[in-house]
Amino acid sequence: MSTALAAPSRTWLDAPVESGRAAGFGIYLHVPFCRHRCGYCDFATWDDRAPLIPRYVDALRAQVQREAAVGWPAVTSVFVGGGTPTLLPAADLAGLIATVRAEFDLTPGAEVTVEANPETVDAQYVATLVDAGVTRVSIGAQSFSTHVLDVLERQHDPERPLAAVAAAREAGIEQVSLDLIYGTPGESDADWEQTLATVLAAGTDHVSAYALTVVASTPLGRAVAAGAVPSPVPDIARDRFDAARDVLGGAGFDHYEVSNWARTPARRSRHNVLYWRHGDYIGFGVGAHAHRDGHRWWSYRSIERYLDDVESGVAPVAGEERLDTEARAAERLMLGLRLRDGLHPNDVPPIQPAALEDAMTAGLIETACGRLRATDAGWFLLDDAVLRLV
Amino acid sequence: MPRGYGSVVTARIRNFCIVAHVDHGKSTLADRILQLTHLVDPRKMREQYLDRMDIERERGITIKAQTVRIPYVPRTGPDAGVPHTLNLIDTPGHVDFSYEVSRALAACEGAVLLVDAAQGLEAQTIANLYLAVEAGLEIVPVLNKIDLPAADPDRVAREIAHLIGGDPDDVLRVSAKTGEGIEAVLDRVVERVRPPVGDPAAPLRALVFDSVYDPYRGALAYVRVFDGRIATGEQIRLMATGFESEVTDLAVISPEPVPVASLGPGDVGVVAASIKQVGDAKVGDTITHADRRRRAPEAFPGYREPLPMVFSGLYPIDSDDYSDLRDALERLSLNDASFTWEPETSVALGFGFRCGFLGLLHLEIVMERLDREFDVALVATQPSVRYRVTLDPSGDVIEVSNPQDLPAPNAIKTIEEPTVSAMVLAPSEYVGAIMGLCESRRGELIAMEYLSEQRVELRYRLPLGEIITGFFDQLKSRTRGYASLDYEPDDYRAADLVKVDVLLNSEPVDAFSNIAHRDKAYEYGRAMVSKLKELIPRQMFDVPVQAAIGTKVIARETVKAKRKDVLAKCYGGDITRKRKLLEKQKEGKKRMKMLGAVEVPQEAFVAALRVGGDDSAR
Repeated sequence: MSTALAAPSRTWLDAPVESGRAAGFGIYLHVPFCRHRCGYCDFATWDDRAPLIPRYVDALRAQVQREAAVGWPAVTSVFVGGGTPTLLPAADLAGLIATVRAEFDLTPGAEVTVEANPETVDAQYVATLVDAGVTRVSIGAQSFSTHVLDVLERQHDPERPLAAVAAAREAGIEQVSLDLIYGTPGESDADWEQTLATVLAAGTDHVSAYALTVVASTPLGRAVAAGAVPSPVPDIARDRFDAARDVLGGAGFDHYEVSNWARTPARRSRHNVLYWRHGDYIGFGVGAHAHRDGHRWWSYRSIERYLDDVESGVAPVAGEERLDTEARAAERLMLGLRLRDGLHPNDVPPIQPAALEDAMTAGLIETACGRLRATDAGWFLLDDAVLRLV
Repeated sequence: MPRGYGSVVTARIRNFCIVAHVDHGKSTLADRILQLTHLVDPRKMREQYLDRMDIERERGITIKAQTVRIPYVPRTGPDAGVPHTLNLIDTPGHVDFSYEVSRALAACEGAVLLVDAAQGLEAQTIANLYLAVEAGLEIVPVLNKIDLPAADPDRVAREIAHLIGGDPDDVLRVSAKTGEGIEAVLDRVVERVRPPVGDPAAPLRALVFDSVYDPYRGALAYVRVFDGRIATGEQIRLMATGFESEVTDLAVISPEPVPVASLGPGDVGVVAASIKQVGDAKVGDTITHADRRRRAPEAFPGYREPLPMVFSGLYPIDSDDYSDLRDALERLSLNDASFTWEPETSVALGFGFRCGFLGLLHLEIVMERLDREFDVALVATQPSVRYRVTLDPSGDVIEVSNPQDLPAPNAIKTIEEPTVSAMVLAPSEYVGAIMGLCESRRGELIAMEYLSEQRVELRYRLPLGEIITGFFDQLKSRTRGYASLDYEPDDYRAADLVKVDVLLNSEPVDAFSNIAHRDKAYEYGRAMVSKLKELIPRQMFDVPVQAAIGTKVIARETVKAKRKDVLAKCYGGDITRKRKLLEKQKEGKKRMKMLGAVEVPQEAFVAALRVGGDDSAR
């Protein structure tokens, strides 16, 4: 049997090689404001709370300062997500990052990512971020097809993300990523091919491409339920996915995670890899999640509640859970197998031999040099694969 | 008690029932009679007073017979001013219970024929009327709902007169809703219905026309005494079952039980005798004395064992409910002797019971009572009838009520199926639609008669198996609800019947096997296969779904292998939501049934059966 099974039963938790605390430590900051809330979006964000921005920035800063006092490991990645972080004035965003740098110990070469909506950034804006130490910008392009952008209710035209990429480059950002969504109702094979070609032409070093997930509580979800918009078809999503693999792979991108491609291993999203490696991180802001060694907690999804708590000196914790070993093992597999490399032999939780045999016989899971990983087929059927293992 | 509940002079008794179609106002009329005669405290009055089960009130139907003793002084007629005792026996009103109806009718000397003045005669009215006439009952025709704007009392009165003979003017006109004309009905009952005749000195003969289960006193027999006298403390014997016991209580219902010491000829009352289950005091049985010297030489004629006509497998949706279901069926059969059950297992549905019912309504009622009174959620397999199969080459005849038990085609010489003689009444404009439906259901036209210019009666011989699969719903929808249906069992007839199996990845799924006419087998197979294709989740590999007769595949679909099944991105580090989804899927996986290598959630089978039940394509 594989070395994956031979690992002592607690090693994967107590002495992981790449996973858990060995994966680094991250900081996430959430900015819950948008100019327009897109029809498919179910994230914690609002398009009618702009007047709260100054208070929110102050509260984030206060929360960062307060939490830093607890004592944390050195920070390997910072990620500012949203919402639309770049809706904040550049100085505010830079100030936030400066606060994090002042309060936490960042490792040399730590990755600092800011998510950007194409219509909100120019070279000057990005330059301010670069000065604050931002190393990576992730731009939400979603599609380069006008009618697909319309269905998604995106507020930019197809050219705008390219200008944003150019602006980031001009400002000196080396790591630029484009976010894409495929399988949107109305998107054709040709639309997707064209989007992929445009991404290649844009010359970014990282691409994320996610299948559109329709959430019932969103306007798009309601439109699908009402029959006004057709439901995304899983088989079409798979076709698009295969096309993305062909095109991006053919252009030299490394498909390192189910939905992510990077030019080189150094250009992978370190912060996202931290999540998949079951690592520890702390989150600041509305609806932000944190994890440390099997303890998960998260803050309120209401801006007002969050502000009230922080301003009155209370930790804005909405909920928490302490995971038992079984749940942590499930997470380790569920997350780690999303990575093409899978799990280091020492990091694999105990798996019932029969369950492993079943998943391997079904052609979903394999071992390679002792690492446990999904097969090519199993990567896209990961739910099924993980369900067989846990 | 101000009123005399003791012995009543037989000549002053009138025993009658009300024959009516559902919704024609029988229960409302009974309610009005109770109010008119001040039997019920106005504060305690509720609608459908005599219907005791929730299901009866909700559905507006009577399932169990009820009886009420009414003191009444007629204002008109030769007996005006003389106090009488009326026993109103409320009969069940559905074709499934026609035997019970016939026993209730046998307990009476007269019947009020109640007809909706707007809707006119319906099949059920006529069927029950024929039963009443056969039983020698005096018919008192009454038109109800004369207050309705759509009422056409003159036309309907002519229809009634045409049917039973006599003068249309003789038909009473009432509104049970407003109370108009109710006294005239009771006066007419006293005048026309003959008093019971019986010999108080003869050996006891009391007809059981219903029995109900009481958790404290066991089965209670509702009886009509014909000869002799029954008293508390006496040893009695049920002549059909041979059950013997001591009478612990006797009561008349007025309309709450009032204890009495004895019941004599013509009396209607309730006997409690420590009878453990209703199966010991079945409808139609005769009570006599246990003492051989006092025993009646012959039982009241017409008794027959309850005979299930429709069969279905009942399975708990949650397999943990199996023992609860068994307990519930046991308790239910304590008060329903006409329903049978035995354990059965299914690959697809797990452990359950093969149950026999009088008809579809009976099945529905049992399902509903199990759900409501015993809190067991169920799924029922496609209803089936009892086939007679002659085996090849032995010539032996076996009965098959479960499609799974049908031998292979080459071992069968012939299959015979039960037929019914059905009567459909409808406005004449729908004749074409009804004939079309009956022909598509392999019906054979026996007779057609115009009751009036607008109303026609059609008689068909139809396979029972065709009746129990959505026939009534189709009839209603093709006639915009105007047609009514009644039927009675007829003989067995040979037919070209085959078993259709449904196969998943080449493994038969027992719960979906069905016996159908060869001409309809394809339709059934097609319908089930496309239904299952929608309901069965995609697997790691292509799964063929087939319908077959023997080894011959008649329909096929494929559930294509799944190609994508990976949870979407985890946003902002929210792993909790993702893990909970995984845990939910894991829970779901536990409820999967393995059919060969195919994983199917039980819900898929349940959904397919539910759709199948409503499916009239068969």
